[in-house]
Amino acid sequence: MGARALTCLMCVVIALNAIAAAAGLALFAVAIWVTVDGYKLYPISSVSGKDDIFAAAWIAIFTGFAFFLTCIFGIFAALKRSRGFMMAYLIIMFIIFLFECASAITAVTNRDYLIGNSNLVKKQMLQYYADSSTQGKQITQTWNRVMEQVECCGADGPADWFQYNSTFKQMFGSTYIWPLSCCKRLSTFEVEDKEGCMVGKATTIFSKGCFQYIESVLSRYTWAVSWYGFSVLMLVFLTLMIAMIYYMQLE
Amino acid sequence: MKTSLPSLQLLFIRVDSYLPDIFLSTDTSQVDFYSRIYLHPFYKMKTNTVIRWMSLLSIWMWTGEGQIFQPELTSNAFLAKVTSNTVILKQPYCVFNQTCPGCEIWLVAGLCSAKGTFDALVNSSTPNILSLSPYPTAFNPSSNNFFLTRVGLLSDFPCNQNPNDQYFVVGADGICSGVNCNGVLPDGSTVCFKYLLIDANGTLVNSSDWSGNITLPKLLALNTISDGLSARSGAMVVITTILCVAAALLLLLFLIMLCVTCCTKKDGKKISVMNSIRIPRYDTHNLKERVHPYDNPAYQPDLKNYSTSSTLPRDGARKL
Repeated sequence: MGARALTCLMCVVIALNAIAAAAGLALFAVAIWVTVDGYKLYPISSVSGKDDIFAAAWIAIFTGFAFFLTCIFGIFAALKRSRGFMMAYLIIMFIIFLFECASAITAVTNRDYLIGNSNLVKKQMLQYYADSSTQGKQITQTWNRVMEQVECCGADGPADWFQYNSTFKQMFGSTYIWPLSCCKRLSTFEVEDKEGCMVGKATTIFSKGCFQYIESVLSRYTWAVSWYGFSVLMLVFLTLMIAMIYYMQLE
Repeated sequence: MKTSLPSLQLLFIRVDSYLPDIFLSTDTSQVDFYSRIYLHPFYKMKTNTVIRWMSLLSIWMWTGEGQIFQPELTSNAFLAKVTSNTVILKQPYCVFNQTCPGCEIWLVAGLCSAKGTFDALVNSSTPNILSLSPYPTAFNPSSNNFFLTRVGLLSDFPCNQNPNDQYFVVGADGICSGVNCNGVLPDGSTVCFKYLLIDANGTLVNSSDWSGNITLPKLLALNTISDGLSARSGAMVVITTILCVAAALLLLLFLIMLCVTCCTKKDGKKISVMNSIRIPRYDTHNLKERVHPYDNPAYQPDLKNYSTSSTLPRDGARKL
């Protein structure tokens, strides 16, 4: 291959590596955002043992940063025009590629188990809300916060609380049909109309379900890890193709 | 006949109670009409056909105003109107119209299959109706399957008010232990209700009709919720397939690349320069690639000025 063509190819490899390094660093940042869980919905996935979205985010933290470092090494290897370095670069990139694939696939598959429909979230709520175990306390706190902030009640609606048997019903069923977190409150945090809320008067209780909110948050986390990871992987795939061609053109 | 008599009483007494407020009532036209007809010093409970026809006509005209003769579900759209063990009824305004000082309205709540049992017990004039079937044992297998609970004083539910937003929750006390407490109904049963008018001595004065059958939904157990995988979303299929294909393709191309580079290493003629003469180089000796015995390093800096990089020996090219 001509010298100019080789130089041109080298420039392309360096440019793609630079973009991939930036993308890897962004993946690192997004995965940290998911792991930090600003919406504090981690107990909903951990109590049922299906917290793979967050596991995938942890993997993405490491692979994102590894992509960043390896792509910088790749820029160096391309400048050096060294076959040895380029081979090392290709092997390391391939290994990181596999790990990132695993992360993206895990996140998107686990999302379907967790929030494909509202059954798992509803069953977990009915089983653990007001339970005195550690998991019960976590779930109770999470649901209370979600119901009060998002102004919703139950998974699909307040009907969940009286259609199904639940720990809450066993403990408080003779007084309350649903938790007081379902009731509308004044700015002083007092319940606006406790009697009306206990019978389900429409103006005093939140009648929409919380599942839509929970589903949107967990989907947001999943798309951050899996779709963005997928796009980074496509970019890296292209980079590795070009790098392999460059490798073959080196002596 | 027996059921129409209370209706007649109802009608006469309603007019009676309206008379003092005749100009305050909202339905002045109807009341005026009736007051003219029935403002007679003596109205007795005689089965006079004219009076019966007129009262039946009046009953037909008055039913549109929400007068109830049997317990009914509340007309409000409460979410918990009928749950698996509680029911929300309208308050018993204008069910009984006799003036009965100190009388109380009580509710009979029980399985619809126990209606006959209750009626038989009442007709056999047992002395103390209120303790007939205490709540804690009411729904045991061989028990009466009904219980009585107090709703309120008759005077609290006058006929001139009929607020539809008032309600009475059957089962408000939960699982309680009093004889006449307002306990929960059996899960998923079909229940019927009846109002009783009990006087201060505890004797039955009057009773309403039985309500319609109200079927309570059965409480579902948690294991009826199937929390397995519902469906695989499209995104999952797309991401999984494309990434698996990409990884496999990458591996394949990587192996091809290794094969190609390994295969092209073995053969191939190399041209090197001995000073300024181009000669093809033959491997006459069994030498490794890195050794270039025919190159004179002393002359390498000069070579740059006289030849292009492709003809230079490999060592020289690297240094430049």
